[in-house]
Amino acid sequence: MSAEPASVARLPGLRAKTALNIASKYGTIIVFFLMVAVFAYLRGDVFFTSANLVGVLTDGAIIGIVACGLTVALITGEFDLSIGYIASLAGVVVTGLMTKQGIPIPVAILIVLAICLGIGLINGFIVTVLGVSSFVATLGVGTILVGFNYVYYATQSSKSLSPGFLSISLTRWLGIPVPVYLAAAIGLALWLFINRTVVGMNAQAVGANPEAAHLAGVRVDRVRLYGLVVSALCAGIGGILLSAQVGSGEPTSGDGYLLSGFAAAFLGSVAFRNSEFHIVGTIIGVLTVGVAFNGLAIVGAQTFWQNVVQGGLLICAVGLSTVGRRLAER
Amino acid sequence: MPVRPDNEVMATGDRTRVRSHAASGPSTPLVEFSRIEKAFGAVQALDGVSLAVHAGTVHGLIGANGAGKSTLIRCLAGAVRPDAGEIRLEGERVALSSPADANDLGFAFLHQELNLVPKFNGLDNMTLGLVRRGRTVFADKASARRRARQVVEDIGLDLDLERPVEELSVAQRWLVALGRSLMRRARLIAFDEPTAALSARETEALFGVVRRLVADGIGVLYVSHRLEEMELLCNTVTGFRDGRVVATLERAEITRSAMIRAITGGDPEALTIPKTDDGEFGAPVLEARGLTRKGVVEGASLSLRAGEIVGVAGLVGSGRSELARMLFGADRSDGGELFLDGQPIEIASPSAAGRAGMGLVPEERRTGGLFLEKSAAFNLGVTFPTVGRGLARGFLRSRNGRQRARSVAEKVNLRPLELELPARNFSGGNQQKLVLGRWLMGDLRVLLLDEPTRGIDIGARTQIHRMMRELAEGGMALLMISSEFEELLNCDRIVVMVRGRITEELRGADITEERMLRAAYGGASSPTTDHEEHQR
Repeated sequence: MSAEPASVARLPGLRAKTALNIASKYGTIIVFFLMVAVFAYLRGDVFFTSANLVGVLTDGAIIGIVACGLTVALITGEFDLSIGYIASLAGVVVTGLMTKQGIPIPVAILIVLAICLGIGLINGFIVTVLGVSSFVATLGVGTILVGFNYVYYATQSSKSLSPGFLSISLTRWLGIPVPVYLAAAIGLALWLFINRTVVGMNAQAVGANPEAAHLAGVRVDRVRLYGLVVSALCAGIGGILLSAQVGSGEPTSGDGYLLSGFAAAFLGSVAFRNSEFHIVGTIIGVLTVGVAFNGLAIVGAQTFWQNVVQGGLLICAVGLSTVGRRLAER
Repeated sequence: MPVRPDNEVMATGDRTRVRSHAASGPSTPLVEFSRIEKAFGAVQALDGVSLAVHAGTVHGLIGANGAGKSTLIRCLAGAVRPDAGEIRLEGERVALSSPADANDLGFAFLHQELNLVPKFNGLDNMTLGLVRRGRTVFADKASARRRARQVVEDIGLDLDLERPVEELSVAQRWLVALGRSLMRRARLIAFDEPTAALSARETEALFGVVRRLVADGIGVLYVSHRLEEMELLCNTVTGFRDGRVVATLERAEITRSAMIRAITGGDPEALTIPKTDDGEFGAPVLEARGLTRKGVVEGASLSLRAGEIVGVAGLVGSGRSELARMLFGADRSDGGELFLDGQPIEIASPSAAGRAGMGLVPEERRTGGLFLEKSAAFNLGVTFPTVGRGLARGFLRSRNGRQRARSVAEKVNLRPLELELPARNFSGGNQQKLVLGRWLMGDLRVLLLDEPTRGIDIGARTQIHRMMRELAEGGMALLMISSEFEELLNCDRIVVMVRGRITEELRGADITEERMLRAAYGGASSPTTDHEEHQR
């Protein structure tokens, strides 16, 4: 504002502020590139091969789909703790329908997606009509699903899955597996949904301030319902792809997506933004964890290090952002 | 620049406003700011500010939102670290690097967010963090509580200490928060807009408390947009503009016109808005008959005509906001009918109201109106988004949306005109322009405004009033709720609410502060103290 010479003396302070602002907005990005640099330095010969990079994308595809769906619910301000169990259920049911009931692949997939849609609607009903917090509602529904998984799995036949189903996850186009394309398509679709549609804008409004959204004429409950439905559907898609990838549907196979989905979304919330969920961020979060796991594998670290690193990354990136913002605001 | 007070001298002379035992003649100020500078990014929030607060006096701070008052107080609170300059307590330089430091030095701060524990009662809130272990391993609650009661008694607070804070009125919560700061032996208390949510009677009670604090030798920093409070209460008033001190007024110099000149840098005459001529209004747009919500509003009937601004007067809790929320579909009604253009209409939700061409600027700007972290464009476009046609109806047309947002932002005179800036970074007045502008993005017939200028500086306030008049002249029907009778003088017609009922309607020459006050206090008998209070 003032063009006095005195303002020159303040420049160093300003510069420190800018640095802190950058740290707070780009916490995850900084961590991401640091990691790439470290692995490139340690084993650049292996890390930068196309086979390895495709591997990173392949590992990230399913979790990316689940995490992006979860992000939509998080943007509306709702938690969805049922995603892991929905993914497990989708795997158990889709494989069961085909092996036990002999239902053709596309029909089995459609039935499973319909079930997931139904679960999303139930979550949404409990949250919007009964007014139970989404934390409790999705925890309860998810726990019930665990029970269903075991009941249905117990009667699973031992017939093996058809190669046609397995090929969903194994087919490659231009050397890249189908789930990667699918993840990219879903990510793009959800990005368009959030940023370019009226419902998506309303979702952001509800997440930012539900009371203001209500008074601005947004149908808050409907938006919350949509968020939980999208989250459940994406979890289901992830579960189906997982069962095709590993060739079976175990009752707990998708449970891990709960924690890694949340980790990716929270990592992403500090990429380019100050602690705000968004689709691009979540994708970056997925890739960050993916690169970390890949790097650990290349250096030959034991698998338990994956958990340590995933948790550590989350705290480092979000912590860097939080501390940076706090200092910058002083 | 009229900045100087390194050795400010307390003038003696008659002291009718505030009795105090601050020493007459030269004295060391209790707290002294010296050439404080603070920049946020490119904005110079404080630009060499110096001022001195003396013990036993009320020192008022005035200025537009963003002029630097709050930043100065936040420096004192240890929440903001100055880039340059120093703060002295009784002549000793002090370092304030955290709120805890400010607390230890005996500085207390009371602002809109009172930080009380809602479920705790007054006593527990006052003794929070002060309860120590007694002779046993258990907390010695009793002695802390004894002290709390003593504090409340000493200062003469009228307060039920056993009731949970969430059940207390806003005014009583202020008193609890004040009591808590006195428990910590405060030497300087800063009040930030304490009366924004208080009725005239509660305000008077608070003034009594402030006067007693001052009489006990405590220094008070007082921030308010209500200039009449400054006249009544302050020994010294410092005016801020653009981060600088532009005026220091002592007792007799503290007049309304002098303060307006300090805040706006302009002529107070330019701030009154011409009213439209009596009578010539259009047909009723929105009509309510017998609108009722149990225990809150009883059988309210009123009609809003095109081109007219109807004011709602009444005390806090008389059902004014609830009436507006019911009209808007935000609260359910238990009975009554609504008519839009003479046709019966059901308005079950704010979204239905929006589709019917009704808008609401809610009482709580930050919690009920704004998406603070979202851009100005987002805040403007959320209700009436710019969408495609046909199949693309659900999709946003961002470029057209931005153009429309820009033209509305220009219309409401948004400053700065930066549509990508988050709402948080705008001043209170400009935030309100965003909430108001949101409704101008669509075809609006009726606009309901609840305390549209609360906590907003006088310049922005005038702009908002002028905008309301322009909208009325364009054929819109407006309803304005305000706790400030002076503001309601701008209306064409006034309805007065008392305990949930519309008891009186005033038109034309009957619209005076006195008539409104008398009606608001419910009766023809002259309301004694409050009435006189307001006339002063």
